[in-house]
Amino acid sequence: MKVKKGFRLRTICGENVIVAEGLENIDFSKIISLNESAAYLWRKAEELPTFTADDLKGWLLDEYEVDEATAQADAQTVATQWLEAGITEP
Amino acid sequence: MTKDTIEIANNVLLPEVVRLLEEGHTVTLPLRGYSMRPFLEDNRDKALLIKPETVKAGDAVLAEITPGRYVLHRIVSIKVQEVTLRGDGNIATEHCRLSDVRATVIGFYRKGSQQLDSTDGMKWRLYSWWWTRLLPLRRFLLFALYPHVPKRFLKK
Repeated sequence: MKVKKGFRLRTICGENVIVAEGLENIDFSKIISLNESAAYLWRKAEELPTFTADDLKGWLLDEYEVDEATAQADAQTVATQWLEAGITEP
Repeated sequence: MTKDTIEIANNVLLPEVVRLLEEGHTVTLPLRGYSMRPFLEDNRDKALLIKPETVKAGDAVLAEITPGRYVLHRIVSIKVQEVTLRGDGNIATEHCRLSDVRATVIGFYRKGSQQLDSTDGMKWRLYSWWWTRLLPLRRFLLFALYPHVPKRFLKK
């Protein structure tokens, strides 16, 4: 999958938030906010043309002290949530 | 990522909103408070904001009336640089400079609707026409719509 064009991580009011660049509307009633680790994964993912859930797992293992099964599950969850939120595409 | 509600204080959120408007975004902002009743309700409705260009009497705007204190109210009059504002659900007015007007409302999303009630649209204009002309009766209309014991009668 890949990060959708134009979507960018920024900090708004101390929250890591994904917003669309350009002249688009920013809707504070349904904002996509990422926690610290998801924001870390996003920064990694947006550097690559495409990435997989396995990449996410690898980045989690690099940065956090988690076992592989947990990282695998978390990576899968994040990948699914990003797709659902419409900020990445297959 | 969860579907929670994050509450952010106005004096933190609104400067951020203003910054985004200045970058050229429009911003959808959930509304709090009762001062724009009867059209707008606390925690129910949202406003679509844009960076102000020319504002005129009758427009709903977001204004910083004192540093860090914002209201989303209707402009009653503009005299040179002096703006007078009054919330539709208020009797009292506020004042600010023209340069303190931070955003213009282009429309409202009401009652959970995805459909924008544009401030150019018939619904808002008709409502505005009537409601602003009914100002002499406003105190009574608001009381009839939202019966309550006025604060001045409550024991301290």
